[in-house]
Amino acid sequence: MTPYLLAASDITVRELLFCRSFWGIVLAAISLGLLIPQRMKYGRTVGGLLMIVAAGLLGSDLPLLTNWVAQSTFWIVAAVTLGSAVGTISSPSPVHAAIWFAMSLLGTAGLFFMQGAQFLGVATVIVYAGAIVVTFLFVIMLAQPEGHAVYDRITWGWYPKTFSVLAAAGMVGILTMLLAGLREQAYAGPSVCKPIASADKGEASDALAPSLGGQENEEAISKAIIQGTAVPPVEPNPVLDADHMAVLGGQLFSKHLISIELAGTLLLAALVGAVAICMFGKPHSNIEEALR
Amino acid sequence: MTNEASLLYNYLMVGGALFALGMIGFLVRRNMIVMFLCAEMMLQGVSVSLVGWGRFHGDWGGQLLVIFIVTVAACEAGIAMALILMLAQRSGKLDATDWQQLREEGQPAYVDREVPEDPDYKEPVWPTLTPAGIEPPQDIEETLHRSRV
Repeated sequence: MTPYLLAASDITVRELLFCRSFWGIVLAAISLGLLIPQRMKYGRTVGGLLMIVAAGLLGSDLPLLTNWVAQSTFWIVAAVTLGSAVGTISSPSPVHAAIWFAMSLLGTAGLFFMQGAQFLGVATVIVYAGAIVVTFLFVIMLAQPEGHAVYDRITWGWYPKTFSVLAAAGMVGILTMLLAGLREQAYAGPSVCKPIASADKGEASDALAPSLGGQENEEAISKAIIQGTAVPPVEPNPVLDADHMAVLGGQLFSKHLISIELAGTLLLAALVGAVAICMFGKPHSNIEEALR
Repeated sequence: MTNEASLLYNYLMVGGALFALGMIGFLVRRNMIVMFLCAEMMLQGVSVSLVGWGRFHGDWGGQLLVIFIVTVAACEAGIAMALILMLAQRSGKLDATDWQQLREEGQPAYVDREVPEDPDYKEPVWPTLTPAGIEPPQDIEETLHRSRV
């Protein structure tokens, strides 16, 4: 199997300086530094413009999908996801942050749908955007009803901000370098990569030569492929099964049955824990302490 | 047929960027709820890359792991909400700096150097309501002529 995760070990400084991803990451780091809440005149405007340029640079350096419909869908959905994520960390009001986060979750659900993970897309919208974010909004309304607070505008000061932005930029840069092998394969085109190793070869080859059967069929096909007269059969991806829910549920309740039980136990424990915190976590007054 | 390798590469990039953004938010923001939202965003980044790997290898494991991530995130959110509400009841704020007496012994305390004026702040304008509790004067003629009351 070819190494997908081959790091770019022989990269030169010249290559790095001509790499669009590198400048995209640098610009994104600078613009995030400007966007994060602080007092600076025009900081947010300049940061937003820089972020758009950085997104263009980063997006143009991604390998293209072969289908332009898939490509444009991916660009839109990824832009919604990442743009709303930037909005979450940069908006001073926590209510706005929660709503931006819900938007980012909708984008993530779109990404899941694009990968054929229909159940996860729906679950993200219902569980995350529908339940978790709404609970967050309830708590914000309960704990900070005025909405506007000093500590949301000044954060921790410049020192932690600069270094966290630098750390994140370094992390994304190193990840990009680590994926160089995969990127080369992506540029080499669909004929090179055959990721699915174990799939039912019988069906595809039957479609090619229905008159032959079994072992002889495969031999004939492989001979034809070697001679260059036939294209290798495209194996169907099992994740893109038409009976998505049925296969997913079957896997979940056969292979991962113990994990399901554990997840249920975890939910129960979390429920009991949350109730216990609410019952016993209240501050005691001095009179109550004296009466004990 | 879409190019599977470039699809995986794009998804890994988006997932990595989401994770990094969540990390920045968690380190930089001071509001406890926003910090928590950023932690959830990091989980989302991991989920995106897991789904990408699952599609690439033709394996259901990626999606199944994401289902468990959603479960754990729901548990986490439930407990964190209860904790944050209790903390907010004690200090009256959602500020993480209020709990810095939990820090290590030698660490200096974080003090805000200066609190700037809010440029966007406006005095709230409340709507004027009509005074209630006094019965308005009634016109007898009008009540007699109304067909349906």
